[in-house]
Amino acid sequence: MEIILPNFGLFFWTLVVFLTLFFLLKKFAWKPILKAIKDRETSIEEKLNAAQAAEAKMQQLTADNEKLLQEARAEREVILREANNAKDRIVAEAREQAKREADKLVAGAQQQIALAQSAAAEELRKLSANLALEIAEKVLRQEFADKARQQQYVDSLLKDVTLN
Amino acid sequence: MVSYRSFRLRIAVLGLLLVSILSPAWAGGGGDGKKFDVSGTLFHHVLETHNWHIVDIPKGGSEYIHVEIPLPWILYNSKEGFQFFCLDGAHAEQDALGKGYVLSHEKLYPVKKGVQVLENGYPRPEFQEHLTVTAEGKWIPKKGDHHIVADHSGNLYEVDHSVSLWDFSLSKTPLQMLIVGLIMLFLFLKMAAYYKRNPGQAPKGIASFLEPIIQFVESDIAKPNMHGKHARYMPYLLTLFFFIWFANILGLTPLNSNIAGNIAITVALATLTLLITLFSGTRDYYQHIFWFPGVPLPVKFILLPVELVGVFTKPFSLTIRLFANIAAGHFMVMALISLIFIVGKAGESVAGAVAITPLSLLFSLFIMTMEVLVAAIQAYVFTLLTCVFIGQAMETHHHDHDHDHGHDHKHAHA
Repeated sequence: MEIILPNFGLFFWTLVVFLTLFFLLKKFAWKPILKAIKDRETSIEEKLNAAQAAEAKMQQLTADNEKLLQEARAEREVILREANNAKDRIVAEAREQAKREADKLVAGAQQQIALAQSAAAEELRKLSANLALEIAEKVLRQEFADKARQQQYVDSLLKDVTLN
Repeated sequence: MVSYRSFRLRIAVLGLLLVSILSPAWAGGGGDGKKFDVSGTLFHHVLETHNWHIVDIPKGGSEYIHVEIPLPWILYNSKEGFQFFCLDGAHAEQDALGKGYVLSHEKLYPVKKGVQVLENGYPRPEFQEHLTVTAEGKWIPKKGDHHIVADHSGNLYEVDHSVSLWDFSLSKTPLQMLIVGLIMLFLFLKMAAYYKRNPGQAPKGIASFLEPIIQFVESDIAKPNMHGKHARYMPYLLTLFFFIWFANILGLTPLNSNIAGNIAITVALATLTLLITLFSGTRDYYQHIFWFPGVPLPVKFILLPVELVGVFTKPFSLTIRLFANIAAGHFMVMALISLIFIVGKAGESVAGAVAITPLSLLFSLFIMTMEVLVAAIQAYVFTLLTCVFIGQAMETHHHDHDHDHGHDHKHAHA
């Protein structure tokens, strides 16, 4: 029977020991321990969130980089195309100008050639005339040096005349 | 290396269990050598004592040297005030009588000095109604009658009822509770210091063992039952859980007896739970007790006593469950060990004792191992039910308000 009858002294001591233990542990153990566990949980959660955010940021950065690269590529294309066009235009222009210049030169040269030709022709005419005169002079002098032959020629000429 | 170590650990645990089993056997073995008193041994082990019994050393014949630590008696005597003394060994009864007390079954009774209960071997007329005679012609107090008390030698004394005596003795169980408290303080203060030194780091050492259990109490016992308001109650729940668990485990170790197998302890713990429940009770909780809503008036009057009884049956169930489980475990082990002394006829039949010993030890070992489990389970159940009871008291019943609008809801659903 005694076993199921609560003993007052024991009841009293249980309350004393338990409540003392409760207040001591509450102040010096449970609060710091639970707080430490909770703090650690929060910090882990924060770190996980931060890691997630960092990953998202990284992805964003990669995407941005990709975009920038694409833009740069497009720009390069445009620049290249423009440069090509410019080159073509400049080459064409240069060719045009060279052609014009060459034409001008050719025209000048032809004019000079023509002038030189006509000058040469004049010279040649004068020269050939002089030559002809000199030759004629020489021939004539030669002819007139031989009196006998002159006489003979004149006689022949005269013979023809009389026969007429 | 690892397997060797774990093997050694297993041997150590097994050895500890065996010693645990045998220590009550030694404690109980010190009978008078004639007849082994099973129930006396059982109750002696489970009930409160004022001597911390270590071992009995045989001195030859049926004499033993009792090695025990006398524990202090602390009494409040309504006439003498506070009294503080130890009663040691063989002189205990005389010492107690000198102080005006009779020591009977680990209890002190204030007695009237100089009153002869028996006169010429026959009770005086005024005591006759309180006494009864045994078959051997010996006068003993009637069962449940507290007017006369007998000491260990059978001398009779009249109890002095004009003195009220409060026993606050620091007997074995309070001392064991103090040990549990010191162990808990040591462990958890150490743990708290670890967290203070290493903030935000993973637990190591004792903290790594205790932290999962603390988190188990928090997230598996408290959180699901307390509607998100468990944080306030965590210190109480943790103290409760570890106190019961450690006390149960300590009770299984050698030289210690059961702690939570004392009903006074479970009454005290259940009372605390009841008080917390009552203080946490919402308006709804009290309304459901005293004036149950949504039922016809006569039913309210029927429900009032039912609900009121319900308030007290809950902590009562806590009290009985923990006490009975722990006490029963100790009884079982003690009974199985007693088998050796019963079959061995308390030392007369050595062959019988030797024959029954392996069986007795095997069964005790099995029960002891189970008790290790029960130690944790009962701590869990007590804490869980505390959470459930407090949680129920904190609940707000939303359906109360629906009684007025019931029709609208029906229409809405239709």
